Formats: sequence, structure tokens, C-alpha cells
Amino acid sequence: MQSFFQTLVSGLSFGAVYALIALGFSLVYRTMGLVNFAHGAVLMIGAYVASTFYLSARLPFAVAVPAAMVVTAVIGLVIERILRPLENKDFDLMLIGTIGAGTVLEAVAIIIWSSSGRGVSSPVQTAPLAVGGVSIPGYNILVIVVTAVAMVVLTLFLQRTKHGAAMQAVAMDHEAATAAGIHVGRSNAIAFAIGAALAALAGALIGPMLYVSPTMGDSLGIDGFAAAILGGFGSVPGAIAGGLGIGIISAFAAQQFQGYSDMVTFVVFTVLVMIRPTGIFGEKTVNRA
Amino acid sequence: MSRRSLCRFGLAPALAVAVVALAVAACSAPGASSTAGSGATGSGTASGPIKIAVVDAQSGSDSDLGQFEWRGVSLAVNQANAAGGIGGRKIDLTLYDDQGDPTVGVELAKKIASAGDIAMFGTAESAVTLAMAPILESEQIPNITSGQSTALVKLNSPYLFLNGPTGLTYDSTLATYLVKTKHYTKIAMLTNNDSYGAGEESAFSSSLKSLGLAPVAAKVVPADQTNMTPELTAIHGSNPQVLFIGAEEAQSGLIVKQARALGMTAVIAEGAPAGTPLYMSTAGTANADGTIVSSPYLGNGASAAAAKFAAAYTTAYGSAPELHGAKAYDGAEIMIAALKACNGCTGLALASAIRAVHYDGLLGDFSYDSSGVGIFATAIGIITDGKIVPVS
Repeated sequence: MQSFFQTLVSGLSFGAVYALIALGFSLVYRTMGLVNFAHGAVLMIGAYVASTFYLSARLPFAVAVPAAMVVTAVIGLVIERILRPLENKDFDLMLIGTIGAGTVLEAVAIIIWSSSGRGVSSPVQTAPLAVGGVSIPGYNILVIVVTAVAMVVLTLFLQRTKHGAAMQAVAMDHEAATAAGIHVGRSNAIAFAIGAALAALAGALIGPMLYVSPTMGDSLGIDGFAAAILGGFGSVPGAIAGGLGIGIISAFAAQQFQGYSDMVTFVVFTVLVMIRPTGIFGEKTVNRA
Repeated sequence: MSRRSLCRFGLAPALAVAVVALAVAACSAPGASSTAGSGATGSGTASGPIKIAVVDAQSGSDSDLGQFEWRGVSLAVNQANAAGGIGGRKIDLTLYDDQGDPTVGVELAKKIASAGDIAMFGTAESAVTLAMAPILESEQIPNITSGQSTALVKLNSPYLFLNGPTGLTYDSTLATYLVKTKHYTKIAMLTNNDSYGAGEESAFSSSLKSLGLAPVAAKVVPADQTNMTPELTAIHGSNPQVLFIGAEEAQSGLIVKQARALGMTAVIAEGAPAGTPLYMSTAGTANADGTIVSSPYLGNGASAAAAKFAAAYTTAYGSAPELHGAKAYDGAEIMIAALKACNGCTGLALASAIRAVHYDGLLGDFSYDSSGVGIFATAIGIITDGKIVPVS
């Protein structure tokens, strides 16, 4: 039983990060209908920028992370601006454009920080919390709390602010939103920027748990993408559920199946998606003639 | 087609161009040595630079090892060139990125053969070296590698040489120290499933078995897995005194970091990867302290030669060297000694010259046997305050 709860704690910690990644995917998708394949690379840039502020510039972690989010949000704006001429004209080229953007970001990271990775020390140096024989590292608790706060802030932004309402409107019907006077390009740019900031937050938080390297975004991006699909692509609560789900499934698969854990995780994912193709919170679209 | 139409399409000029092209291809460049694969003459009568390939990961998760190896080789070659080269001929290194991928390695093996490289340094990944070995053997290109898998030795290629001990040497020395000297009886293992980790799992478990012990827990993780907490949780339940790790530097560091976060107090024991700055920075200095390391290179202060090498390396590259750079440096020095002995020969003659070299290097005394292994011992150190010190 202790082993079960220990694995669960580990799964929830990583699941919180996957939820942030999934949220970034979902936000861009629900606003623009676009899967941003540069999302993993943006996460990697966020991790590097945050670790540079934290380790090299010696800023407090609580300052380094928001600073990295701002820098990466600007990168998101740049990517959206480059892709804007293709919006509503050539969707396939936009998708390819995001793949290209990801490749460029990885090359830029290698030029700036070299192909060597870096370890990031944990900002929480206290001993792990022991609860009923289960060891809970303090930093893992911080990750879960920060993720929860980010979710709440984003939900409030989407529901209570003018820009958030505009993004919701564009997501529902961009032509009607345009007719209502909403600047679709600006809404898309804000979605891209927020998505990039969320990716940076995920990268910055997971840096001390893992190892920051130019290729770290590849596998994390895939896990986040799977989380977004599992939860329902485009759904905010779905991103949370999917992220936590993938985190927990991965943790228990690793415990039971060791070297085959990745295979088992994605077999389970495939079965779940076959049972419910739109995801846990996904919406089914019905076309009525 | 009629003869008339053939002429209309300029057959005669095309034939003339083809004949000229064949003639050019048949002629060798003035003063060039016989091309690799054309025979075992390798008489060493060539002029011009001596071309040697360096093949290592310069991108991807193994790029750190690749960078260490490139620097170690470059330092030795630059020193040799500054001292006059090989009979007045400079050594010209070309760096190739294998991306840590055996498929890319195979393509590069063909490429360096056609590019005229007479020898090769690398790779640092046994799986890539294994994939390249048959092509290098057929092209008669001697290769000094940093790989340590016993599978390399089993190839029995006359052209393949290791610049360090085999994995079995690392692990049998470590197992003997843990069991015979420190009297540990509860040893757990956590290895990854790539060629290095699989080799470590095999070598260490067989070493334990020869000492009459079985591991109290043994788990395997994918080489790219970053959350090892589930496996560590299972291992923690068996309450081991020692945790042996068989994984690359970054993953090893993560394992240690996550083990300590779980509250595991077991002593960490490992081979070569634990002796690197990358392991220590990923694990964190406090977590890395106390790690027992089996390594033939116990730090830059281990000997006067190591200190001299470290000073030159730091001057050249701005950072201190570690085991992989030292291995690569020794390998390059052995190649340079062989080239000097045979006056810049190639092919089987160069391979024979390498085998004939007796070299007192940073890792120890090298003397190659028929299987390509030149050094047969490691030492035991312990990480203290971020540095490896020999155990007393």
C-alpha cells in the first residue's frame, strides 16, 4: 500500500506538468484550430531561460520562472505573427510551419547553450515530507500547487476578462467573432502567447526534477499531446484530467513493466481513446443537414 | 534508336566525357597513399596531411560524451602537430556527428572510407561502434573507441581497439570492493536498457554471482526515462545497503537525485559515468557525495601526468577534463605513437603498429592483446565534496 501511494505521488507530480503542457496545446487548438507542434520546443526554451536566470543570473526561482514565461510568450507572439498570413487560408502549411518553428528553436538552443544539457538544483532544499511512510519531496508539492494556481488564473482569465471572452468567441466561430468586431489576429496572438507561457512554466517547473537539454521537449511534448487528447483536445478541464491521467498511468506502468513502460502507457492510452475518441471532456460535434 | 538519332543527341561527346571521367578516377592524386581497402600495403610513403576521422555524438543525449572525446583527441593531435607532426606531415581531423544513432554511424563509416580517412577515433557509444565495425574492418580502417561493451571485444576485429577497460573490468573490480572489502551483502541494481546499461547489468550481476551474491532487487528502465521514482520505490522496499547504477551520466544523476528525494540512504556505486561533472551536476553535489566509483582515472590530481594533461586541457577549452577526455587523449596518443613508428602507414600495417605500442597513459599502462583490449584494471574512488578521491 505504501508503494502504491508513493507511486501515486510521483505520478501526480509529473501529471501536473503534463497538464500544463496539455493546456497550452488545448488553448491554441480551441482558439485557432491548430495543433502547435512547436510546443515541446517552446517548453525546452522556457526550461533553458528559467535555468539561466536561476543558475547564471542567480535570480530567485520565484522571479526566474515568471521572467522565463514573459520571454517565451514573446517567442509565441513571433511564431503566431509568422504564421498569420496562412490563417484560414492554408491549414496544412500552418501545421508544417509549427514543425519548422520547433526545429529552429532547437537549433537556436544548441547555438546559445550548446548541445550539452544542465542539471538544475531544486529551489526547495528541505527534507521530504513523510506521511504514513510515503516520502513527498517538498518541490513536488510546490509543482502541484503552482500548477493548480495557473489553472485557476487561466480559467478566470477566459471567463472574466474581455480578452478571454474574445478568445472564447473566436474559438466558437471566428467569422461571427469578426462580425462582432473582435480582432481575430489579436486573439490568436494572445492564445499563442499564453500557450507559450504555459509551456515555459511547465519547462521551468520540470527542470529541477529532470535534466534540461535541447531534446527534452520531444518526449515531454508527446506526453503532453497525449494528455490533451486523452482529456479532450481543446478542453481546459480535459487538459487537467488528461495530464494527471497520463502521469499516473506512466508511473504505475513504470513500476510494473519497467523497460516496457512506455509501450504499456501508450497501449492503455490507445484503448481509452478507442473507447472514448473525443476524450474525457471532449465535445462531440454533430452536423445537422 | 537509329545511328543518326544517336549522333543527333551527341553520343560521341558523351562517350568522350565518360572516357575522360574514367581516366581521372583511375589516376590517384600525386603522392597519395594507397586507398583504404585496396590492399594491406600501407607502406607509409605518402605526403600531405594524414586524415583521421572523429565520429561521436555532437547532438542528442550523448552529445556531452562526444564533446569530451573530441576535445581529448584534438588536444593530443594539436600537441603532436605543434611538435612537427608525423615525419613532417600534419594530422588533419574531421569531426562527424553520429547523433548517437547506429544507423547514422553505418552511413558515416561508408562516408569516411570514401573520404580517405585512414583511421578513426570514436565512438563513445558501443552500439554505434558495433554497427560501424564490420564496414571499418572491410575498409581496413583502424578504430580506437571509447566504448567498453564486451560485445566489442567479441568481434575480434584486428582493426578495433578500446581506449579503456571493458565493462566487465569496471564492474568486477567494483563488485569485489563492495563485497570483499566493505562486506556489503544487500546490493540492488538499477540499469537502463540501451547497450551500455544492458552490458552493465550483465557484467555486474555476473560479478556478484562469482562472489556468491544475488542482487536483492534488480530493475531496468528505458534509456530515455526521466522519472525513475516507481522503480526506486520498489527497490527502496528491499532496503538495500548499496544501489548499483548502470546508466549514462545524466540518467544516473537523476536516479540518485530521485532516490535521495525518496529518502533512500543506500550507498551509490557505479562505473565510469559517476566520475564525470555531468553526473555530479545532475545529481547535485550533496547527493553525489559518497558515490563509490570504479574508474581508471581518479581525477585530475591523481598523478603528475594527469595534472599536466588537465592544465593543458583547461587552457585549451576553459573547463577541467574528466574520464572520457582522458580516455580519448590516451587513445589519440597511442595512434600518434603508432603512426610515428610506421612512418604514417595505413590499413593492416597501422593496426599492427597500434597493437605493438606500449604506452604509459593517464589511465594506466596500455598493451593491446589480440582482442583489442589494452588495459585491464581500474581503481576505486569515492566522491567527496564534489571530487573523486582514491579510497584508502
